Amino acid sequence: MPLIPLRLTIPLRPWLAPLRWLTAHHWLRAADVDACLRFLQPAWALTRIHARVEARRWVAEDMLAIRLRPNCNWPGAQAGQHVQLFIERDGVRLSRSYSLTAQADGCIEIAVRRQPEGRVSAWLCEHLSIGDCVELGAPYGELRWPQEGAVLLAAAGSGITPLLGLLRDALGRGFSAPVRLLHFVREQGQRAFVEELQQLQARYPNLAVEWAVTAGAAGQRLNAEQLHAWREAHVLSCGPAGFVEQLRELVDGQAASLQVESFTPPQWRAEGERRPVRLQFFRSQREAVGDNQVSLLEQAEAAGLKPEHGCRQGICTQCTCQLLEGAVRDLRSGEISHEPGQSIRICVSAPLGDVRVDL
Amino acid sequence: MREDRELSREEIDAFGAELDALRERTLADLGEADARYIRRVRAVVRACCWSGRLLLLAGWFPPTWLLGTLLLGLGKIIENMELGHNVMHGQYDWMNDPELAGRTYEWDIAGPSDFWRHTHNHIHHTYTNVLGMDDDIGYGVVRLFPEQRWKPFYRWQPLWVTLQALLFQYAVAIQHLRLDKVFKGRISREEVRPLLRQFNAKVGRQWVKDYLVFPLLALALGCNALAVLTGNIVANLIRNLWTFTVIFCGHFTEKAAVFAPSTLEHETRGHWYLRQLKGSSNLQGSRLLHFMTGNLSHQIEHHLYPDVPARRYAAMAREVREIAARYGQTYNTGTMSGQFATVLQRIWRYRLPQAV
Repeated sequence: MPLIPLRLTIPLRPWLAPLRWLTAHHWLRAADVDACLRFLQPAWALTRIHARVEARRWVAEDMLAIRLRPNCNWPGAQAGQHVQLFIERDGVRLSRSYSLTAQADGCIEIAVRRQPEGRVSAWLCEHLSIGDCVELGAPYGELRWPQEGAVLLAAAGSGITPLLGLLRDALGRGFSAPVRLLHFVREQGQRAFVEELQQLQARYPNLAVEWAVTAGAAGQRLNAEQLHAWREAHVLSCGPAGFVEQLRELVDGQAASLQVESFTPPQWRAEGERRPVRLQFFRSQREAVGDNQVSLLEQAEAAGLKPEHGCRQGICTQCTCQLLEGAVRDLRSGEISHEPGQSIRICVSAPLGDVRVDL
Repeated sequence: MREDRELSREEIDAFGAELDALRERTLADLGEADARYIRRVRAVVRACCWSGRLLLLAGWFPPTWLLGTLLLGLGKIIENMELGHNVMHGQYDWMNDPELAGRTYEWDIAGPSDFWRHTHNHIHHTYTNVLGMDDDIGYGVVRLFPEQRWKPFYRWQPLWVTLQALLFQYAVAIQHLRLDKVFKGRISREEVRPLLRQFNAKVGRQWVKDYLVFPLLALALGCNALAVLTGNIVANLIRNLWTFTVIFCGHFTEKAAVFAPSTLEHETRGHWYLRQLKGSSNLQGSRLLHFMTGNLSHQIEHHLYPDVPARRYAAMAREVREIAARYGQTYNTGTMSGQFATVLQRIWRYRLPQAV
């Protein structure tokens, strides 16, 4: 039994303000204070967000919903946002991003789809048990429910998770315009949150839920017909990059608004010809010959460095480091940075020519 | 002195490749055990420092005062060497743990860790034992090699070294300010000012913590503040003397070599490895000695692999030694007393200009 219940950390938070001031001004080490707090309550920390696993249940054959109770440092999240979840495996802190599917009573729920080769998702699905603690990042994400008018939600695979979070929140707030949820899954068993969605459908007549199974001869694909009547609705879509791009093409220009989020990194824009460049890693005193198409993070790792990193998609800013010399290209946008001393995210930056970075 | 076989260009490349392979093998094997180890070290540091400070509150009663002071000194030594120094080298960056990130770790010593990351990690480890480049050669106050140009004040260097040993944490801290260049006017005062601010802030914090907060706490609790203050001073002194001894044994022993700046021209990875091997010296001893020196007793391995977790050096040393033997290179090692005696000899001998 922890000496202090997790719920009590919330009213106690203001009392720790002096300690936060002392650590922020380097009089105390946050790690030492956190060690003491952890002794009192395993999920307590001065500023970091830790959470205890309250419940876990399978919501599809390959998807696990986890209910978490975060400590006092959780800033609150908007429906449709995501969090970075950290665990430690073989001494290495790993993280993945998961979407919030629900929030209630100081708890949040995330859903984890088990990836066949996933180091994190497989461990979460198999080993994470009730009472365990995990660390979370601050919530992020831009998906927002439209103010009014019909809404079409198009999800593929685990793309259902942020949309479900948004849907629950909107219906709960009394959203009354028609809503249609289209969920594409490869196999029947991958339909997630079926019971919840059916209950919602029974309770809110303005909601219609449809599933489309894509595998097999009778597999349904995303097509213009399915969207026909809904082209002028507000469209929110989440899924793998290919799916999202396809949807964008089908409704582009007609939808009242379009918000998309894809969780597999999109194919990086290749620019120019592949050519060798000289990479100087200043802090570690290493040099390597790399090329101008691959992210600096991958090239640094190939050169034997182990830079700090998180999402590897340009989201979490953990891999941020200083560009000392040369120019880099943002692999997502093609934007070029060349200011010496500028902070760059090495996971999404490729060198344009010879570069020196503070790694 | 050293007896090293001259190596051909091909041999140097092969030598470098073998050491690189050892590095890769070790890195590939890092995992849970290393993570657990460094966290245990941190737990030991906390246990030593906190229990030491608690015991000091008992006042002048000799058993508790002595034990408290020793524990606090021990805690600071382990924190500075096995924990802080190694973490700041980025040895545990692979863990991705922000609490043990080399870029942000701040250690319990007068010098700001940012200074150290520059003067030590960058300057000293890149230009190890290169005259005029590596300021760690005598720290500007000691002449240890005949190749160093003699200056009149070196005549009194046994005295300077003694002072430096007693105040070692400050000697290390001010290195980055390059006061010698400021006095000579090669660096402007404006340039030094922000560094000086950082320096003052860190030293101030250390003084307030050790010499004000804890004595005042003792006073508030009705304990003997003077006993606490003295305990803190002695603990810092113990740490200074020990770290000084270990660090001077690292590069200034009889068989340690220095290099002319021209060595750096066209230096390959193999050459760099060779220079690190020639410029560093190891200490033989028990596992306790290795631990207490933060594994700097494996100075050669540390200089070959500054960012590999130091607990691995002992195992790597066996292979490095074997590789060095095959390439006919002296592997400079000895007992701590033996190695330190040769350092003292250097300090005594090279105080005079004619000694070469």
